[in-house]
Amino acid sequence: MSYFFQLVVSGIVVGSIYALSGLGFVLIYKSSRVLNVAHGQIIASGCFITYSLTVWAGIPIYISFLMSMVITFFLAMSVERIFLRRLIGEPIISVIMVTIGLMSIIDGIIYLTPFGSENYSFPEFFPQTPISVGDVSISWTQLVGVIITAVLISGFSWFFKKSTVGISMRAVSDDQLASMSIGVSVPRVFGLAWATAGLTAAAAGGILGNITGLNFDVLQSFGIIVFPVVILGGLDSILGAVVAGVLMGLIQQFAAGYLDGNWGLNGTAEVLPYILLLVILLFKPHGLFGIHEIERV
Amino acid sequence: MKRTKMILFGVFSTALFLLIFTAQSALAKTYMIGSSLAITGPTSDAGSPYAKGMEDYCKFSNDMKLLGRDKVKCIIRDDAYKTATTKRNFEDFMDQEMVIYLNYSTGSTLGLKKDFEEEEIPVLPASYHAGNLTGSNYILLPSASYSEQAIGLAEYVARNHKGGTPRIALFLHPSAFGRGPLSDVKKAIKAGLKVNLVEVVEHGKDLDNTAMIKRLLKKKVQYVISQTVQSPVATVLKDAKRLGKIATKFGQKGKLTFLGAHYTGGNDLIALAGKASENYFWTTAFTLTSEQSAGTDAQLAMARKYGRDSKTANSHNYTSGIMVMQIAIEAIRRVKAKGMDVGKKSVYKELLQMNGFNAYYPLTTVGPVTFGKDDRAGVDSLQLYVVKKGVFKAVGSPFVSKYAKMIK
Repeated sequence: MSYFFQLVVSGIVVGSIYALSGLGFVLIYKSSRVLNVAHGQIIASGCFITYSLTVWAGIPIYISFLMSMVITFFLAMSVERIFLRRLIGEPIISVIMVTIGLMSIIDGIIYLTPFGSENYSFPEFFPQTPISVGDVSISWTQLVGVIITAVLISGFSWFFKKSTVGISMRAVSDDQLASMSIGVSVPRVFGLAWATAGLTAAAAGGILGNITGLNFDVLQSFGIIVFPVVILGGLDSILGAVVAGVLMGLIQQFAAGYLDGNWGLNGTAEVLPYILLLVILLFKPHGLFGIHEIERV
Repeated sequence: MKRTKMILFGVFSTALFLLIFTAQSALAKTYMIGSSLAITGPTSDAGSPYAKGMEDYCKFSNDMKLLGRDKVKCIIRDDAYKTATTKRNFEDFMDQEMVIYLNYSTGSTLGLKKDFEEEEIPVLPASYHAGNLTGSNYILLPSASYSEQAIGLAEYVARNHKGGTPRIALFLHPSAFGRGPLSDVKKAIKAGLKVNLVEVVEHGKDLDNTAMIKRLLKKKVQYVISQTVQSPVATVLKDAKRLGKIATKFGQKGKLTFLGAHYTGGNDLIALAGKASENYFWTTAFTLTSEQSAGTDAQLAMARKYGRDSKTANSHNYTSGIMVMQIAIEAIRRVKAKGMDVGKKSVYKELLQMNGFNAYYPLTTVGPVTFGKDDRAGVDSLQLYVVKKGVFKAVGSPFVSKYAKMIK
C-alpha cells in the first residue's frame, strides 16, 4: 500500500509543477486569447536569473528566487511593450507568429550566455534528508515546489475572481472592444498578463532547475510538455490547469509504477496522458474547465 | 659603376628572394576538413566544447607546422542539431573539396549515410552508434561503440558481482542513439555473458523517478546501465539519493549501482547531479584531466594557449573534439609522408591502414586508434571511472569488451 501512496505523492508533486509551469500559458490566454509559444524560454530564463543571482552574485537563494520573479515580471512586461503592444487588434495568428519569433530571439540570447551550452546545478540549500512518513517520502525541494504552486495558484484565482484588475482582465479576454468602451485599458491589461505570466514562469523555472539541474534544452522543453496539461484543463482556466496537472502527474506515476516493465509495456507514462487527452477532448473539446462560448447571431 | 653594380645586385637578390618565396607559397597546399555539429540547440552542452576541441587542434596543427608548409583549413559549422542543415553544410563542404568530414549526431550520421557512400568520403562522427557502420564503408567510429561500452559495463558487473547472477536494467534514451546497444547486449547474454537483463526502461522527461526506482528494486535489480545523455541520469540519481537507494559501494545489496556509457558522464553529470553523482560508474575511451598524464597535460596547455576557460579545458567533449581532429590530421600527414596526393580517397585508404605497427597513439585516449577493413571502431579500449569526492577517478586498467568482440 505504501507503494500506492508514494505514487500518489509523486503524482501530486509532478502535477503541481506542471500546473505552475502551465499557469503562464493560462494567464496570457485568459486575458488576450494568445498562445505564448515562447513560454518555455521564459521558464528557462527565470531559472538562469535565479542561478546567476544565487551563485554568481552570492545572494541567498530565497531572496534571489523572489528577485528573479520580479525581474522576469518586468522583462515579460517589456517584451509585451516592445513586440506585442502594436499588434493589439490584429489577428491572433499574427501575435502567435510573433511569439514564435520571440522564442528564436530568446534562444539566441541564451546561446550567447554560458547557460546555452553548459550545465549547472543549484547549491544544495534544503536539508538532504527527505520528509518520510513510513515508506512514503518527499524531498524538501518537491515540498517547497508544491507549496509555492499552491500559494501562487490560490493567489491568482482570487485575483481573477475578486480584484478589479483581475475582473478587467477577464473582461478584455471576453471582448476587447466592449472592455475599452467601459474604460478598461486593454494595453495595460495585456502588459499585466504578460508580466504575471513571466513571474509564474520564473517560479516554475526555479523549482524545475532544482529538480532537473540547469540544462537549457530540458528547461525550455517544459514549455511544450505542459501544453497538453493546459489544453486538458481548458486554456482559460486556472483551476483547470491545477486539476489537469495533477491528473497528468498521477497518470504518469501510476503508469510508470504499474504498467511499465510489465507485460512487455514500456514508456506508457509518456503516452498514456496523451491518450487520455484525446479521449477527454472528444467529449469536452474546450477541456475540463474551459469556457464553451456560444455565439448568437 | 660600382654603385650601379650594387643596385643591380640588390634588385636581383630581392627578385630571387621573392621568386623563391612565391614558389614555396605556390607549392604549399591547404587541405579542407569540414565539420557540422550542434554548437547551439539540443545537445550543445556536448557539441560546444567538442567544436572548441576540433578548432583548437586545427589551429595547433597549423601553428606547430605538423604538416610542414602545408596547412589544414577547418570549417566548423553549427547545424543546431538539424539534419537538414547538416546535409546543406555537408554538400557545401563537398563543393570545397573536403578531404575528410567530421560529423556529429546519430540521427544525421544515419540520415546522411547514403550521401557519404555516394561521395566516397571518410567520415568520423561524434556518435558511437554501432548501427552507423551497417551498410556503410566510409563511416569510422572514433572509439568503441555504445554497444561495446554497454556490454563492457555488463561484463564488469558480471566479474565483480558477488552472489549469483547479477540482475541488471538498461536505462535508455528513446531514440536510435539510446536503443542501439539493446540488441547487442541481448546477443552478448545469449553468447554467455552472465547477467540477467530484468528490465529495459526508455525514459522520458521525468520530474520524479520514484516509481521506476521502487519498481526496479521490487524486481531485485541491483545495477542500472544507462545509455543516454547526462540530464535524465542526473534526475534519476537525485531521486535515488533522496530515497536512500544509491549503492555507496559497488554491488551493495538492496541498493542500485548506477553505471553509464560515454555521453552519460563527465563533468556535466557532476554539475547537474551534484553530490548524487557520487559512486556513479562511467566508461569512455578518453583520458580525463582528473587523471593526470602526458596527454592531459598537453590538452590543458593547448586550452590555455587558445584562451579556453577551465570548464572547457577539462571537458571530455573537448578531448573528444581534439581526438577526431588528431585522427584526421594524422591521416593527412601520413598520406603526405608517402608522397601521395592528399584527397578523400587517399585519406580513406590511409585511415584503413592505421593498425598494427601503424596504429595511432593520440594520447587523448586510453588506447591506440586502429582502423582496418574489418575494424571500423578506432579506440577499442575503454576505461572505467567512478565519481569519488566530486571527481571521476579511474578504476583499474583499460579493458576491451570480450563479448562485444565475440558477437561481431
